[in-house]
Amino acid sequence: MGILCGNNLNLRPTFLVLNHFDRKLTHADASLKENFSNSVFEFDSTFYLLFDNIDESENPAASNMNTVKDLGEKHKVNFVLYNKIKHDGDRFMLEGQMFNTRSGGLIYRRKIDLTNYLNGQMNELNMWVGNVTGKIDDDWQKKRESILFANPENIKPEKTPMGAALRSLIVPGWGQSYSEKKVSARVWAGTESALSLAVLFNFLKYDEAAKNYLVNLGLYNNTNDEKEVSVYRAQAESDWNDHVFFSELAIAFVGATGTGWVANSIHAWIVGPRAYKNLYQKWDTQLPDSTG
Amino acid sequence: MIQPCKIFIAFLFIFMSSSAQVKLSVNTIPKKVNIILDGISMGSSPIKNERITPGIHKFEINSEGYAPLTYDLLVNPAQAVQLDFFLNPIYLIKFKTAENGLVFEINGEHQWDEKFIRLKLEAGDHSLRVFKLGEIIDEQTIHIDEPKKFIYYLKKPVAEE
Repeated sequence: MGILCGNNLNLRPTFLVLNHFDRKLTHADASLKENFSNSVFEFDSTFYLLFDNIDESENPAASNMNTVKDLGEKHKVNFVLYNKIKHDGDRFMLEGQMFNTRSGGLIYRRKIDLTNYLNGQMNELNMWVGNVTGKIDDDWQKKRESILFANPENIKPEKTPMGAALRSLIVPGWGQSYSEKKVSARVWAGTESALSLAVLFNFLKYDEAAKNYLVNLGLYNNTNDEKEVSVYRAQAESDWNDHVFFSELAIAFVGATGTGWVANSIHAWIVGPRAYKNLYQKWDTQLPDSTG
Repeated sequence: MIQPCKIFIAFLFIFMSSSAQVKLSVNTIPKKVNIILDGISMGSSPIKNERITPGIHKFEINSEGYAPLTYDLLVNPAQAVQLDFFLNPIYLIKFKTAENGLVFEINGEHQWDEKFIRLKLEAGDHSLRVFKLGEIIDEQTIHIDEPKKFIYYLKKPVAEE
């Protein structure tokens, strides 16, 4: 078992890391060691030779063979890893180059140009080193993806016109209130309440008239007194007319309430919450001088 | 008898040098995007351990709902090259104004004078210029980060000051 572990340790690739950052990245060295336990890192902050211009060489991959071999011998490492981070406004560029110290040649290269994000430099450095050491953490990828614009299909607004319409279908004005249209919310709630009250009022009047009609009809049928017959008949006729009138009115108000209810829901959808932005002219328009 | 052998060895050397290939991996965000290398489809991303010859190559990446991407790459004779492409989404934008006689121009290219139009714009910042009677009266940058409606006004209401 001990032999196996010892062999595994010996198999870990060794890297000499040359970091050249235009801004200080605290704990970069320690972080690499911590994140890539499958590799052995050495750091040489005193080495100032930059591999910046290898593209200008006739053979870029072999342009620094002797230097790389010398570094390999000096530090007893398998690879030289050159990392350069340069900032430009809100972006940063990372260039990574990996050289094999046996051949001295460039074996792996990566250039990344990205909008800066929180701890982006360290994250990108981890992704680059993870690529060459074969150890990639999904969280790094997710963190990088966090700065990218969202896929339109994945954008789910918190409030939608349909949500407003459904709310207004349940309680008139609720959808408008949900869309922060306070005035129209009050108008719809008030209108529908008034119409509903009118329906209720007319129904109660209709019900009262219908009952009175039945009472007066009964009294009319049960009396032989000429005067009472006349009174009950007049009252029954009046109740009948009232019952018809309030019935028609209640039906009309039910229609108005229902139509208003649906209209209120449609209105809630129309004025429902949508992503928008008001743009105002930034410049003051110079009016022509009319004074002559 | 020695001469043909030398020629064969020279040919073999030239052939091996010219066919020295670089390992190629391509990742894209979003994934499952068709990658075209030098006019030939390589399949859907991510692409791993393909081979590419050193030299200049052209990548074309097209995906529905994203801005098309064309990328020229000079492949150096390294052992491997990994490419990461980030595709920029296109959002549906509505642009409306109630003002009369305005001409709008976006990114110095596209102009319109309609009061309401629909545009498909790449996510990010875009330059908007406004003209009236042939004179530029406004210029500003609009940020597109979701499907959105822009409503343009000539004057800012006092409440917004």
